Amino acid sequence: MSSALARTGVPPGRAVSAQMVSMAVVIAVVGLFVLYPVFYLLQAAFDVGAPNVRPPTAYGLDNFSALGKYWEIMVNTLIVTFAATFMALVFGFLTAWILTRTNVPFQRTLEQLMAVPYYVTPLLGALAWNFLGAPESGFINQVWRGIGGDGALVDITTAMGIAWVMALFEGSVAFVMIGAVMKSMDPALEEASQVVGAGRWRTMLRVTLPLVAPGVLGAAIFVFAEMLGSFSAALVLGTPARFYVITTAIYQFVSQYPPRLPLAAALGVSLFAVMFAMLYLYRRVTANRSFVTISGKAFRPRTMDMGRLRWLLFAICAAYVFLSVALPIATLVYASVQKLAVALPSADNFTFDNYRTAFSLNAVRSALSNSLVLGLVTATVGVALTGMLAWIIQRSRLPGRGVLEYIVMFPQAVPRLVFAFGMMWAWLAFPVPIYGTFWILLIAYLTVFLPLGVRTISGVIMQLDKSLEECGQVCGASWGYRLRTIIAPLLRPGILAAWLLIFVASVRELGASILLMGPDSKVMTPAIAEAFFSTSSELTAAMALIQTVVVAIAMVLFTLITRKASRVGVGP
Amino acid sequence: MSDSRLTKPTTRRAALQAGLAIAALPFAGMFANRASGQSRPPTKVLDFTTTADVAKAEQEGEFLFYTHDSEPAGASVVEAFGKDFPKIKGKYLRAQNGALYTKVLAERSAGRYAVDVIQFSEPATALDFQKKGGWMRHVSPQSEFYAPEHLSNPVGDFFCPGVTFAGICYNTDKVKPEEAPKNWKDLLNPRWQNAMSVKQSTSGLQFVQWFELKKLYGDGYWKEFAKLRPRGFDSRAQLFDRLAKGDDKVCGLAELAGYLLQKEKGAHIAFVTPPDGLPAGTLWNGVVDRAPHPEAAKLFVDWLMSPRGQAHYQTNPFFYYGSVRKDAPPMPGGTRLRDFKLLAPTAAEMPIYMAAQDTFTKEWNAMLGL
Repeated sequence: MSSALARTGVPPGRAVSAQMVSMAVVIAVVGLFVLYPVFYLLQAAFDVGAPNVRPPTAYGLDNFSALGKYWEIMVNTLIVTFAATFMALVFGFLTAWILTRTNVPFQRTLEQLMAVPYYVTPLLGALAWNFLGAPESGFINQVWRGIGGDGALVDITTAMGIAWVMALFEGSVAFVMIGAVMKSMDPALEEASQVVGAGRWRTMLRVTLPLVAPGVLGAAIFVFAEMLGSFSAALVLGTPARFYVITTAIYQFVSQYPPRLPLAAALGVSLFAVMFAMLYLYRRVTANRSFVTISGKAFRPRTMDMGRLRWLLFAICAAYVFLSVALPIATLVYASVQKLAVALPSADNFTFDNYRTAFSLNAVRSALSNSLVLGLVTATVGVALTGMLAWIIQRSRLPGRGVLEYIVMFPQAVPRLVFAFGMMWAWLAFPVPIYGTFWILLIAYLTVFLPLGVRTISGVIMQLDKSLEECGQVCGASWGYRLRTIIAPLLRPGILAAWLLIFVASVRELGASILLMGPDSKVMTPAIAEAFFSTSSELTAAMALIQTVVVAIAMVLFTLITRKASRVGVGP
Repeated sequence: MSDSRLTKPTTRRAALQAGLAIAALPFAGMFANRASGQSRPPTKVLDFTTTADVAKAEQEGEFLFYTHDSEPAGASVVEAFGKDFPKIKGKYLRAQNGALYTKVLAERSAGRYAVDVIQFSEPATALDFQKKGGWMRHVSPQSEFYAPEHLSNPVGDFFCPGVTFAGICYNTDKVKPEEAPKNWKDLLNPRWQNAMSVKQSTSGLQFVQWFELKKLYGDGYWKEFAKLRPRGFDSRAQLFDRLAKGDDKVCGLAELAGYLLQKEKGAHIAFVTPPDGLPAGTLWNGVVDRAPHPEAAKLFVDWLMSPRGQAHYQTNPFFYYGSVRKDAPPMPGGTRLRDFKLLAPTAAEMPIYMAAQDTFTKEWNAMLGL
């Protein structure tokens, strides 16, 4: 430590000021990115003046009082959101535990496959399950009737069907977030539990679960918000059954003429209350409790021997991978090579035209590369920004850091389709002309993915024993040096998970991109959604598969690079 | 009545109907006032005339087109224009009509003028934009090929680049021809309960259908229709996708363009032309005030109004819009607009039509469970 102190060579006063400056910059950026658009969103929500006139000519509460008429949509939203969050957390916790804490066979392969649903646009999952489970044309139901069955064996257009698809595809983030926390956990605690006679399941429930509680709760909040703002599954599966949720209702309100933006904004803003209640609950649960699992004592990640049970655990993970990866992708591949997707193949229905059309669209080709570049930049800048924010919220003694946590959650609390309007108005009025360029998309992505990064990294920071950092401080290491040499290396799993999550989330972003992309900064997912609306589900399937393959290649490259870097000791 | 009707030879009666149809298509009380002058004498480029300064347009080198049409449609039209004028790069952005309008108004209120040409999917938006001074006055020499009701008043703000119209469609695997609806009133048969699709209130054409059938059959028609719990979708592609796969038995707002596209794929569907007429929706397109590339924008609009642009809109599968140009050739399948009895609000009805928008949106949303 003394050598470390010598290497820093920074007087304590300067170290403190560097810390303060960094914190001030991060807080200013967050304030600008989040509160600036929120101001315009609130302005719209209270706008009762002439339609389509900005700034508003009159203010009032009419938009909020009109929300009562849509109680049925709100109930639908809550049912689907709670059901999907519950399913996602059960899948996420169980699979994360199996793959990080047990000696399940093919652990590494399964772990990589488990994350695949998160790589793909949710539209792909919704589309695939619509091909499979639509009551009339669904492949499963066609085969069912073909073998003499009556009616529909599966109906994916029900509330539970929608929740199922949301949990499989949009809830897979829970696995990544919880998995990151579990990887950072010292197995000695579990071993101690078993030494004193607790069984494996009891250890999981009484030791593992409470220790990863911040990560699970953080994931729960994030997943809940994600489900609240979920659009694709409800659009593809709910609309045919006249089942609307808040996001699909908002989509209709902003698309019709005259657009009912104030009502959509009020609907979106009202979700702040729901989201902040969740966050308050999280803070209450995690306050004044220790979740430390990483202390000064070294540990090597070890897994529990599950005996024969490991094959049962393997079957659970394999079933999840089959339902969320293999079956949907096979379905889409099958549908994408047909003129009209039907269950039973016929030669005259076979075609490669959907791929030919997809590749012929210039906009799609450039959109794909734009998406990848934006994903890389957003993830890299985003990790630094959200890492700092998470540290400020969890570790600093800055007054008002709790408020900062609420501010960070704003973009997650409102469906992106609505938040995008706030960002559009805000950045149009901004004196620097970034509107319509690549930069506005970068700012938009950094803004909307702040909660994702902060939640992921916070879960791991809370597991870090403060004494490690204090030890560095006592030895005279500057704040920056401690951050670089103690905190960042220990946070590595969380940082990598956050990078990965933000990268993928950026590549598949839809709601904000639709409104903010310019003619030279088009991105991929809106093009896929557009194909769904204006061409055919077969062409949409082809485009979604192309995007998935490109993202998969990017992910493989990323994995190879990080592995190589780890081997040669590059990095922290 | 089904497919055969589409290729029916033009009779005297049809020609008479055509006159009525075209006269009934105006939509926008925008009867032309041709008093507006032209800034430049027309010059001939390729095989059409334009008042745009082509050299300047090429110097500007690009233009930006905002459209309600689909992504492939937007790409195809700027590409077709680019083949004729390779020195001018066309860019486009697409969004649903409402979102597109909000976007352009927000940009203008912030003093950002990026768009050169804009196209709306229905007349009320174009008229509102006109009230806000959004259009640049550009009197195209192509205007003489358009009836006054297909041009703005005064001439030069915007024009109608195409018409889309809808009848009824059914899935032939699910419905026998003798059981299929023959006219709009047949859609009220309880057998279509939970088996029929229409468009969402975002659709301009849906608004026309609501307005016209209400005129024909009275208020009770839509009340009875609502009892059948129809399903609402955003685009014709979705309607025909579902119909072809048998998810719906009948489509209550089946655009001929969508039918032709799906039929080419071998779908088992049939188109019905109701004798009471087919609701028709018009699109509106023009140069935007303070366009950053005004000459390129004018050239694009003149090209779109010319037979070259109109041929693209009429024959490209992403459009299949009927041309209202007086000398337009037949549409794919050999039919012309005048072969159909089209239903659309007349100029005199325009104020009532526009005032009814709010009622329509509320009623339609409620009917679709929104």
